Amino acid sequence: MKESDGRRSLDTALRAIAEDEAQLGASVGIEVRLLAEVRNIAVARRRRMVIVVCAAAAVVLLALWIGSQRFLPSRSSEARVAEVTTDFMPLAYSSVPSTNVQVVRLAVPRAALVAFGLTPPEPLERASADTVLADVLVGDDGLARAVRFVRPAADQEQMP
Amino acid sequence: MNEVEDAQLLERSRRGDEGAFSELYRRYQAGIYRYAVHMCGTSAGDDVVQETFLAVLGQRGRTDAPRQTVAGYLFGIARHIVLQRLGSKYEPFTDSGDDDISEVASGALTALDNLTRTETIAAVRAAVQSLPPVYREAVVLCDLQEMEYAAAAGVLQCPIGTVRSRLSRARALLVTKLSAVYATADARRQ
Repeated sequence: MKESDGRRSLDTALRAIAEDEAQLGASVGIEVRLLAEVRNIAVARRRRMVIVVCAAAAVVLLALWIGSQRFLPSRSSEARVAEVTTDFMPLAYSSVPSTNVQVVRLAVPRAALVAFGLTPPEPLERASADTVLADVLVGDDGLARAVRFVRPAADQEQMP
Repeated sequence: MNEVEDAQLLERSRRGDEGAFSELYRRYQAGIYRYAVHMCGTSAGDDVVQETFLAVLGQRGRTDAPRQTVAGYLFGIARHIVLQRLGSKYEPFTDSGDDDISEVASGALTALDNLTRTETIAAVRAAVQSLPPVYREAVVLCDLQEMEYAAAAGVLQCPIGTVRSRLSRARALLVTKLSAVYATADARRQ
């Protein structure tokens, strides 16, 4: 017999093994276990996506909120809006020239209102019963030029 | 099998696509199972298949396609697991390329044709099983899995020439072993 015949016999025998084993494979339980793992991956992936989307939405909302805050009036101007004031009324030294005038808020006796011909409103709190708020224009020389009276907006309808 | 489709199945499997994973598993589990059984025994088949595909799923951060074919990539992982199991039993021998044994025994080997199919399969399977792992691996991949030499070289991480040399040596060893089997069977008949 030739060597090639021997080789052919071996090849045939090996092919027979391959055919015989063609149906062999891992047990069904392995695929079930692996598919469960794939499902876990899918769930984790969806969860990650939700977290990412929520985080992105939070960032966008935060950015929008910060942007909107820039266009809102500041707290101090809000407070100012919540107040009602009279016009500035000239005082004795109003005619004295001054280069630098500042507004100073003071609590003055309620009688001061009467002195300017204004009707004092009913006090909101007992503590402020004897005084009212007033903005006084004071020059750099220390002389008061004008005064206006201030009160919370809740009392607006009572302000003369 | 369509390599592009295989790569897509692999990528979608890593993203948790059950359908893609089922298809990928259906295509390759049997081959990996048989490779593992030949290398480590029947009890290892299921474990190696499971560990191989778990390793694939564990690389879900990877979005790149494997450098080699998907089959080569999967068998490469399976081989890594098999080598871990074999431990020190897997010792690459020097590939001498000595084919003389086959010449001596090739005459006796043709007598395999006289055995029944069942006897042939049992005899050859036993002979394959008795090969040193490094040669058995070449026979299992190239002859039983019908993997191309280039693909087998990718899995075995060696040059194609080394694959050819190991396969040649393995076949020569098989011829020797099978000639002894034939002699026994022949003596029994007489």
